[in-house]
Amino acid sequence: MPLEPATIKAHDPGHDELRRLEAGLDSLQAVPETPRGAFRRTLDGVVPPILLLIALVAAWQVYILVAKPRPDLIPGPLDVFAALASAWNSDRLQLAVTTSLERGGLGFLLAVAIGTPIGLLLAECRPVRRAVGPLLSGLQVLPSVAWVPAAIIWFGLTDATVYFVILMGAVPSIANGLVSGVDQIPPQLRRVGTVLGASRFEMATLVVLPAALPGYFSGLKQGWAFAWRSLMAAEIITQGGTIGFGLGSMLDQSRVLADLSGVLATILVILFVGILVELVVFAPIERRLLRRRGLMAAGLR
Amino acid sequence: MTTVSVAPAPTRAALEPAAISIDALGKRYGTGPLVLDDINLSVPAGQFVCLLGASGCGKSTLLNIIAGLEKPTVGAVTVASGKAAVMFQDAALFPWLTAGRNVELALKLRGVPRKERRAEALELLDLVNLADAADKRPHELSGGMRQRVALARSLAQDRKVLLMDEPFAALDAITRDLLHEELERVWRQTGRTIVFVTHNVREAARLGERILLMSSRPGRIVNEWTITDTGSRRIESPEVARLGDEITDQLREEIRRNAA
Repeated sequence: MPLEPATIKAHDPGHDELRRLEAGLDSLQAVPETPRGAFRRTLDGVVPPILLLIALVAAWQVYILVAKPRPDLIPGPLDVFAALASAWNSDRLQLAVTTSLERGGLGFLLAVAIGTPIGLLLAECRPVRRAVGPLLSGLQVLPSVAWVPAAIIWFGLTDATVYFVILMGAVPSIANGLVSGVDQIPPQLRRVGTVLGASRFEMATLVVLPAALPGYFSGLKQGWAFAWRSLMAAEIITQGGTIGFGLGSMLDQSRVLADLSGVLATILVILFVGILVELVVFAPIERRLLRRRGLMAAGLR
Repeated sequence: MTTVSVAPAPTRAALEPAAISIDALGKRYGTGPLVLDDINLSVPAGQFVCLLGASGCGKSTLLNIIAGLEKPTVGAVTVASGKAAVMFQDAALFPWLTAGRNVELALKLRGVPRKERRAEALELLDLVNLADAADKRPHELSGGMRQRVALARSLAQDRKVLLMDEPFAALDAITRDLLHEELERVWRQTGRTIVFVTHNVREAARLGERILLMSSRPGRIVNEWTITDTGSRRIESPEVARLGDEITDQLREEIRRNAA
């Protein structure tokens, strides 16, 4: 029977009493939030890793000063920093970082565009999943660097080789992440969708996809990690042709010159780019996603 | 064992057509044992029916069949108004939406135009005394508040029949007591037909206008009580206690039957 606004507004003393009771109980049962300020949160997140970094560099410098190892085998922090500065001054560092980031980003977006429909198909269509599932899991285990020789033969020394290797690394992770995200949806939510009268399309867009988002997102994170690793492997192995100068190329160039300081400097840059992307792109989205759903562990709030 | 049928309240049944009619319904899963056997039931519009039974008596299965979530093996179920709204033991709110948006989603799936959804959702939340919590997310609400949002959501479906599957079983006694009062008030105000599944005898005696007792394995309706006094009653009142004792005695007898 449709609700008549008039009946809803109707007042009776018993109802007021019930309202007061309920309001009292609600406030008793409410979980008091103890929000920490953004400044405090950033401080808590940034200070420990920086302290660790300082400690590690200091220990390294002390070892160099005390043990005095051969500088061509174990360079000190200052040598590595000098190598970094010289790469910066010759613009090689900037070029390498932008080239690699551009490729990694573009390759990752391509992998999302390809991996998402595959994941959806696998999650919602049982026969396809039985057929393709094991293959996809196998591809996720296979190191994508194994595809480099084949890609060179197919595509030559072009960017296509690099993108192919990135895709082979990232697509399985993204598709699998979406599949496990869909698998973890509580069956009750789908039942509610059915009861509320959702069509197949509404069920997919209004219930299944949003419910699968946390799993899908961790798939995306892993996909990015695989894309970045695959890219570095591809850049180290394939050089020349029309392939531009990336961080992997810079790493291999330093090896050819037996410049260990340059090698270590490049490794650190690759590491920091990975950390930066995680901190700047993925972490804020993930925190927001989980906090809104109440899935955030108390310690991470 | 035969189905004992006490004559239902005559005036209502005679005047109004049945909101739910179930005819010779049976259910088994695959080749397994019979879960439900020869269920015959007619619920007049606006009645509050409690379906009571021990675990495994198939009362939730029966509810799911009425809801259209499962199909009967034999027999037929007719819900006169078309489909029914359903509320589960778990509030099953969508965790990525606020309380208000959860209700709005039900309105959207019902086909309510976008402009009217917000106001109507607030009105429904106000009906369960939660208008202030419209912007809260499900994890910020207590269990009782979540169930009230779920109640508002099932009212948003605007269906004449409301099916409830042990909706208060997971709540503490104080909250449950208040929600009984809330539900009774909403029922009186909206005139819905309610089928309420529970294993709590006192809850059934507190809420129901008509109480159906089910046996287990296979599930059959073995007895029913009709409460003529339609006024509000409290769970601790003597008449609820007396009725509860009577039902408990027979429920225990049904359970003992399964011991051998």
